[in-house]
This record gives sequence, C-alpha cells and structure tokens, in this order.
Amino acid sequence: MYQRLFRCCINATVTILLAATLSGCRPAGNATPEAGGKTVINFWNGFTGPDGKTMGKMVAQFEQENPDVQVNMQLIPWGTYYDKLTLSLAYGGAPDVFIMQAARFSEYASFHTLKPLSGQYQSDKTPLGAQDFAPVPWRESYYQGVQYALPLDIHPIGLYYNTKLFRDAGIVDEHGDAKPPATLDEFLADAKKLTKDTTGNGRTDQWGFVITNEHSNWLTFAHQFGGDIVTPDGKHGAMSSPEALQATHLMCDLIYKDKVAPKPEGVDAWLALRQGKAAMAMEGIYMVQSLEEQKSLQFAGAPIPQFGPKQGVWGGTHLLCQPADISPAQSKAAWRLMRYISDHSLEWGKAGQIPARVAVERSTAFQALPVQAQFGKQVDYVVYDPQIPRANALNQFADPAIEAALLQLQTPEDAMRDADRRIDQLLKRP
Amino acid sequence: MSITIKSTSLSSAKPAAVSRAAAPAAAPRRDDRWSGWLFALPHFLLFLVFLLAPTLFGLYLSLHNWHVLAKHHPFVGLANYQSALSDDIFWLALRNTAYFVILAVPAGNLVSLLLALGLAGVKRFATFYKVAFYLPVVISIAVVAVLWQWLFNTQVGLLNLYLDAAVTGLRHLGLPLAPFEPIPWLSNPHMAMPSIALMSIWWGAGGNMILYLAGINNIAPDYYEAATIDGANGWQRFWAITWPLLKPTTLFCLVFSVLGAFQVFGQSYVLYGGASGPGRAALTMVLYMYQQGFSQYEIGYGAAIAYLLFAVVLMLTGIQFWLFSGRKAKD
Repeated sequence: MYQRLFRCCINATVTILLAATLSGCRPAGNATPEAGGKTVINFWNGFTGPDGKTMGKMVAQFEQENPDVQVNMQLIPWGTYYDKLTLSLAYGGAPDVFIMQAARFSEYASFHTLKPLSGQYQSDKTPLGAQDFAPVPWRESYYQGVQYALPLDIHPIGLYYNTKLFRDAGIVDEHGDAKPPATLDEFLADAKKLTKDTTGNGRTDQWGFVITNEHSNWLTFAHQFGGDIVTPDGKHGAMSSPEALQATHLMCDLIYKDKVAPKPEGVDAWLALRQGKAAMAMEGIYMVQSLEEQKSLQFAGAPIPQFGPKQGVWGGTHLLCQPADISPAQSKAAWRLMRYISDHSLEWGKAGQIPARVAVERSTAFQALPVQAQFGKQVDYVVYDPQIPRANALNQFADPAIEAALLQLQTPEDAMRDADRRIDQLLKRP
Repeated sequence: MSITIKSTSLSSAKPAAVSRAAAPAAAPRRDDRWSGWLFALPHFLLFLVFLLAPTLFGLYLSLHNWHVLAKHHPFVGLANYQSALSDDIFWLALRNTAYFVILAVPAGNLVSLLLALGLAGVKRFATFYKVAFYLPVVISIAVVAVLWQWLFNTQVGLLNLYLDAAVTGLRHLGLPLAPFEPIPWLSNPHMAMPSIALMSIWWGAGGNMILYLAGINNIAPDYYEAATIDGANGWQRFWAITWPLLKPTTLFCLVFSVLGAFQVFGQSYVLYGGASGPGRAALTMVLYMYQQGFSQYEIGYGAAIAYLLFAVVLMLTGIQFWLFSGRKAKD
C-alpha cells in the first residue's frame, strides 16, 4: 500500500514539476494584445525621477489622442532596469517599447534582441530621416548598418555654476552678470578665485570646482585631448595612451596641485554644489530639475570649457526600441507611440533633455529654456561611451582606474596600465 | 492492570528490549522500508528542486560560455575557472573577504560574549534588553545598510557628529587634541572594510549573544559558589570557570560566523549600489560573482567564481569539523 502511495506521490510531483517548468518556458509577454478591443502596449523605462512624471503625461496624452491603444508604462529604477529587461528579452515577457541608453545599445543589438525599424520609419505618412535628427544620436540608432532605434534625446553634461558666488568673486561680464569660463586658463583662474576658507579655520570650505561624476568628467577631459577608453577599432584598452594620461594628470592637478577641487572621497559633491559650497560642477542636463526645485540657489548652465586641443563632451542618448520577436500588429501600435513621443519631445526637453529632433531643438520654445539651450550648443561634438558590445563591461575596469588615479591610490600611469591590461584580457575573451 | 504494565515497560532500562517484546514479529514488514522515505519526501523534494538541482546546474553553467542574451552557449571546459584564477580582481575579492572575516568574526564574537556576560547578571528588564540587543538580527541587511549609510555619512552622519562633539568637548577641557577631521567612513579605501565590519557586528551580535547566554546559563551555579567560597574574584571566576566551560559554544559560534562571513554580500551591495567601493575595497567574493553573473550577464564566469568560493568554504568547513572532532576526542 505504501508502495502505491509512494508511486502516486512521485507521479504527482513529477507531473506538477513538469507542468511548472513547461509553463515557465512559455513567453508571458504579448499575451494580452487586446483589452476591451484596445491594443495594449507595454512600455518600460527607468525614468523614476521627475522625468518619469513628464513621460507619464506624454503617454496619457497619447492615449487620449489614440483611443484604440492602451499603454501600460512601467517605471523601473535604472539600477535594476537592465536586469529585468535582459531577462525578459532572453526568456520572454519583454515589453513592446522600451528605453535603451546609448551606452548599452550595441550590446543588445549585437545579440539580435532588438527589432530592425527601417520598415517602420518608411511606413509613416511623413517619414522621418537623417535630416530630422541631430547627427550624433541618429548615427547611434544604427548597429552594423541596421537601424534598431528611434533616438529620443541627447543628454550631455555641461557646466553648472553658482552665479552668486561668481558675482561675489568679481567674475562678471560687462553687464555685471556672472561669466562662465570658456578655456582652461579661464577655468583655472576662476576656480582659484572661488576656492576659499570662508570661516578662517584653515580649512577650505568653498571649492571652485567639484567632480560629481568621475566617469563622465574623465571621458570629457580625455576626448578633448584625443583619448578614450578603447582604441578606435574597439579591440584594445587605450586608457594609458599619452592623450588619456595627459587628461588624467590635468584632473589630478585640479585636486592636488591647483587645489581647486576636493578629493572625491567623503564629499557629496552634488550636495556641495546645491549648498553653495562649490561654485562649478560638470553634470548631466538631466539634473537641471533638481536644481530648479531649489529656489534659494542662484545658478546657470554653460557649455563645458575647452580644456584640450579639441572640443568634446560626454553625453548619452535615450533610444526607443522594440524587442526582436514582437508581432507585426503590436509593432505597428508601438511605433505609433514611439513616433508620438518623438514628435512631442519639447515636453521631454523641459524635463532636462535636448530633443534629438532638430526641429524641436531649434524651436523658440526650447531655446527659451535657459540651461537646456546652453547645453544644447554642445550637441555637435557630444561623445558617447565606446560603441562596442562590451562597453558596459569595460566600466568595471575603467571607473575604478579613474578613481584610483583621482584618489592617488595609484599613479595615473599605473592605474591606467592596469585598466588597459584588464580591458585587453576582457576583449580577448570569446 | 494496564498501569502496572506501563510502569514495567517504562522502568525498563533497555528500550531495545521493550520494542522487541512489543513487536514479536522479528522481520520488519516489507512496506516499512518506504515509510521513512515518505516522511523525508517533502523536504527531499524541496532540497532537490531548490538546492541540489540549481547547484548542479551551476556546475554545468560554469563549464560554458553563457551570456544570458546569447542563443548558443558553447562548452568551454575549465576555461572559466582558468580565467578566474588568473584574474587579479578575483584574488583581490578573496583577500577582501578574508579581511572582512578577520575583522568581523573575532570582534563580533567578543561583543556577543560581552553582551551575554552583561545580560547574565541582569535581573530586572532582562527580557527587554535581550529583545533590544537581538532586534537588529531580524532586520534585513538592506534596511541595516541604508540606515548605516546615513550614520556613516561624512558630512551629516551621526557618527562623525558625535565624534566631532566629543573631540570639541575634550579640547574645551584643555586636552591638546587636533581639531576633528570628519572620517570618510565609506569613501576611503582603508576605512571601507572596517566600516562594513562595524556595521555587520552591530547587525549580527545579538544572534551569537543568545547562544552565549544559553551557554552561560547552562553552567551549574555550584562551580561559582565553590569558587566564591575559595575567594575567587569576578575575573578569576570568568577565567577559570565561564571561559573554559563556554568553549564548545565559542567554537560553535566561531564556525558558523566564519561560514556566514565568507558569504558577505548585502553590506557592500547596498552601501555601494552594486559597485566595488573605493579602490575596490568593498569587493567581496559573492559581490564579484554577482557582478559577473548579473551585471555583466557572464553567467558561466559567475558560476565558476561561485564554485571557487564553494571550494574555499568547503575547505574551511573541513578544517573546522576536524577541530570539532579533535575536541570531542579529547573530551
């Protein structure tokens, strides 16, 4: 009797397990394309800040104007966004539209997880083309000659500066307004004037400049001198190239030689800028809303000064993409949403972005946004993270090396050589 | 009459004899062989599905070049293990983890022991104190880390504010101290791991405290009485009675603390948002495994690191089992 019971138990368990496994294998996404006659579009992004509210409004507006489509927008913090997206693309359940950041785009395109969109571009009554977009993000929407994305914006870093501290230090133009630096010499002179011990206790408590993001700041300096994380062919590390080292030394000098910036440890650099304890910082355009919310702060934006022989500024782009296995009907509806968001990207610009659409960027409404319009002057020379499938993996070696150099844990030469060795090792892996 | 029978069987010194008497049919029924298995079945199934199968699958993964998004996962043999062993960051992670164990385990056990010794003497509100000290153990590490992130904050953190106040106070009293420099608890590479250890000790001390307290309460009061009559002071009583009799408890606590500490992950993960900390000072083995497997999606490589960690922990467990059995033999 026990034997029979045992066998029954085993059979039942195996059946349950098998059923569970099989049902788990079936993709769960795109399961309910229609709800009450409406096409349902799932849209994922990582806009959990104020930008998410703006995007939410744009989506709601789209739904109003397109009553046959229902959009379920899911906000996932960037920290876990790609984990979720990756698993959904690999094992099913992917959204119909999702945001892909420029730094990650090549990786996902290289695994053929994104849908080629040239058909969608051409199917529109007024098709969009290269002439409608800023050239840098337009180029970014291609991987190996195939277009996989609709570029939404460009978000370069720019120079935020405290206008009150500038005026107090006498750094003003002929109208008496704060005058941001445009060259390295001006930057250094201003930063020195703005670095002060205001309480007289022998400790600097107001800094001319703070490094808020080592990655974007380093890439900006490096590109201006002709350096990068990898060689142009994307096959080797290039952080120890003379150009990159020159840029790294310049950054270190700001801290240790000119003493106009604090060591990037134990300082909440962004907080320092917000508190008026730092006069300048190079941060993303997307931070503008958080400064605007702080009414007591007098600040303005300007293009990044030219530190090296050429212009260059780190930037990113949000790309709108679709999964490779989306059904034609879903893809069509999803494209309508993508196109709508692109057409209405002025709203998006107000949230702290430069629209990728030339017409929107040049519109008087956009040019009236003080910080955005200033940062927008840089769009022609924006540089991204390396455009190779392993770009994201490079950062695990690049960022600690930059940090080690800036904290003087290693000499810039040693830190960058270590990074290059590790990057080479990684790029050699199959 | 039944009472008599019961009392006879209960008073029997050899339970084996009783069962033989109660079950005259010497050969067990054939079906009985399965009943044990049946009772074990629910646990065995859970173990199989959630532990053994994933563990073995992990071994399989570690032998492949397995990117989550890739359609094909080519077999690469031991290449992932080779990569890990020639990866200096892997060794750095191992070194950091060992450093954490050295920092957190002895000090943590000392704190637990001191708490237990203190509590053993408390008569009033003993339960309140026990609960208070034990409470951090039941909080998730994510919550603990977020809490401590603020305590550790260089500019506005409570730790630095208290230290600043203490130093300033002492200076006012005329002590020749330098003005307080805020300690960069989390952002200085030399401070990162000690800070994590400090936080972990606060988090986990209550757990071992309970074990130590049980150990202390198990010591017969006669020993202390005798020692007191012989004129032993508190320190002598501790050193001659409590400490030697607590050795089994201490060994047990140490073994499990070491095993737990080697798997440290949540602390670094939450404090540094999944990154490795300043100068990779907070990069532990499990964090490195996580980064490779779930941030870089190199699942095969991550699995190989997991198996190497498994080897390290297995080795340590072996050593500790040997220590245990060595003690038992001596006893």
